[in-house]
Amino acid sequence: MRRLRALEPLAWTGPAVVLIALVVLWPVVEMIRSSFLKINRRGVEQGFYGFANYDKLFGEKDFADIMVRSVIWVVAVVALTVLISLALAQLFNQRFPGRRVARWALIAPWAASVLMTAIVFKWMLDPEVGVINQIRLKLGLIDALGGAPADQLGDASTAMPWLIFVAVFVSVPFTTYALLAGLATIPADVYEAAKMDGASKLRTYWSITLPLLRPALTVAALINVMNVFNSFPIIWAMTHGQPGYSTATSTILMFILKGSNIGESAAMSVVNFGMVLVLTVIFLKVSRWNKEVA
Amino acid sequence: MRIKLAGGAALGVAAMLVLSSCGSGSGGSGSSGDQKSSDGGQVTLKMVAADYGDGPGKPNSGETFWKGVVDEFQAANPNIKVEVQVINWNDIDKQVATMVQNGQVPDILQTGDYSGFAKDDMLYKVEEVLSPNVSGDMLQKFAEFGKVDGTAYGIPFVSSARALFYNKELFTKAGISEPPKTWDELKADAEKLKKAGVSQPFGLPLGQEEAQGESFLWMLGNGGGYKDASGKWAINSPQNIETFTYLKGLVNAGLTTPNPGTKDRKTVWEDFGAGKVGMVNGGPMSIPIFDAAGLKDKYGVAPIPGKSGPLDTTLGVMDWIMAFNKNGHAAEIKKFFDFFYTGSAAQKISDTYKLLPVTNGGIQKLSSDEKLKPFLDALPNASFYPFQDPKWADVNPAIKQTIGGAVKDDPAKVLGELQKTADAG
Repeated sequence: MRRLRALEPLAWTGPAVVLIALVVLWPVVEMIRSSFLKINRRGVEQGFYGFANYDKLFGEKDFADIMVRSVIWVVAVVALTVLISLALAQLFNQRFPGRRVARWALIAPWAASVLMTAIVFKWMLDPEVGVINQIRLKLGLIDALGGAPADQLGDASTAMPWLIFVAVFVSVPFTTYALLAGLATIPADVYEAAKMDGASKLRTYWSITLPLLRPALTVAALINVMNVFNSFPIIWAMTHGQPGYSTATSTILMFILKGSNIGESAAMSVVNFGMVLVLTVIFLKVSRWNKEVA
Repeated sequence: MRIKLAGGAALGVAAMLVLSSCGSGSGGSGSSGDQKSSDGGQVTLKMVAADYGDGPGKPNSGETFWKGVVDEFQAANPNIKVEVQVINWNDIDKQVATMVQNGQVPDILQTGDYSGFAKDDMLYKVEEVLSPNVSGDMLQKFAEFGKVDGTAYGIPFVSSARALFYNKELFTKAGISEPPKTWDELKADAEKLKKAGVSQPFGLPLGQEEAQGESFLWMLGNGGGYKDASGKWAINSPQNIETFTYLKGLVNAGLTTPNPGTKDRKTVWEDFGAGKVGMVNGGPMSIPIFDAAGLKDKYGVAPIPGKSGPLDTTLGVMDWIMAFNKNGHAAEIKKFFDFFYTGSAAQKISDTYKLLPVTNGGIQKLSSDEKLKPFLDALPNASFYPFQDPKWADVNPAIKQTIGGAVKDDPAKVLGELQKTADAG
């Protein structure tokens, strides 16, 4: 009887463990297994292939560029998102007329599907009819519609900033709300004490708000790192990673490879998976997430 | 319940008798399939098909089309159920590969290629799933392409050919009396169009969607292609390099779609329909797009210009339907295929999507259609992708992603990289 009681927790955690094993662990195992198999384009497995898929992947002419770009992409998008969200959270934490409406409006980009947002931006940037180009034409920034100057998504140097902009645009709402929740947990008496000590606004923000916000900030940024690294729909819908591979990240390359070589694509997934783990560890180290606030 | 079963069994036996009588010429079809239907139970055929329409929810979506076909078929064959999953062109190959990898092979697949599956021994032979009178009506040249090592596995489904579309109004405005026949004329006309204020004199989609098609048309214009006459890969042949150097000249002069390597053909066709593009290569399937955009009767169709004269060939594309042998439903599949090709379905697909038929009967029925005539005439002399070469599966995605760079960077270098992909391992 006692022994049975000792097993009781298993009954409660069991389903969750099984669920995690099924939807998290099993696909990971399957992904790693696939990366060592020879699989033809039709999906037929043709036996063990050793590291050949990895050799082929690392030998791709554009591989190094794509990996570097992926890291830049993650750092740029997450950094901009966090900075903008910190400011927005501060703003939305103030009382001002229409705050409720403004808060609701902020949810909109989050509620809309990312793919939809990306397609909308692609259309707004269309060289012939896009509204952004109509405005640029009226402002005299371009001479005519339809030509290369109006085609900002057609060249990596102008497409990348737009891709980053859209990624920030869809990431800001979640991040802002996470930070807003964090701000709400900071007790008012701490601020009062600071005021009594005569601390400046900047000093208060730097020494009180930011440190106390760190748990929320860490979680929000970490979720963004993983999300942005795995982000697929924005780049795919807006540029397909083109011209060539010059706007592709590793997630895009993984998808393109899936069309020609599933094994190599699986190898890319494994590399991606490793990258996310490494980025996460580095991030947690840098942010000292488990250290108590001093 | 028991009565129902008995009735079903009787139907099954009857079906088997009918089938064995009409299939006798082909020398005994897949026996496992026959046994299944004689059990009397209902057989469900899983089918995966590509979407020729504008996607889910649109009146011409693949779902709507196939529902019409299947409803009619099921009414005539109550013991066969057909479940159709329609997948868009961008995803279908990847999704089917995933199905195969997971062991969930469909019974019927309709897509752009069959040869790989035949090499993996996954398909029924055509004679096992199609009556001789139907296969006999197929255009001979097309049926030949359905063979791997002399045995037919792929059944031609629909076809298309390409020609040059030009905007008559814009041509008049620019003072051009007739469509160009040579590259020099094309360039001169494009310059006139540019002067007349046309933002994209020539629509050049070399982006992901169908770069391999547009590129091939241009290669043909200079006696080039993906392979040489001896069947060796020749992507970076001197002719092809010359072709892309010419194209690069057009691009640099601002006479084409900007940044062609990032533009999908759908976008460019829509721009043509909107009157922003002077000339573009298109097919029968672009007619509905142009008409819907309001360009009806304002465009002409002409042979595609080549370096020194119009092409005597064009790109022909054939799509395929095939039957997988894993689930052993040959008899039921045969019924469905025969129904599809002898009934109104094949005709309806041509009407709805302006795709060209693959049977002699179908072509005769369409020969009075003015707009389709140039394409029907071009079909017998069409050139095709080297899709029967297994390397095409590696080369094609690489072309789609990178060949646009050949009109931006160094053509010899970009084509050389693609040649390397084709020559590798």
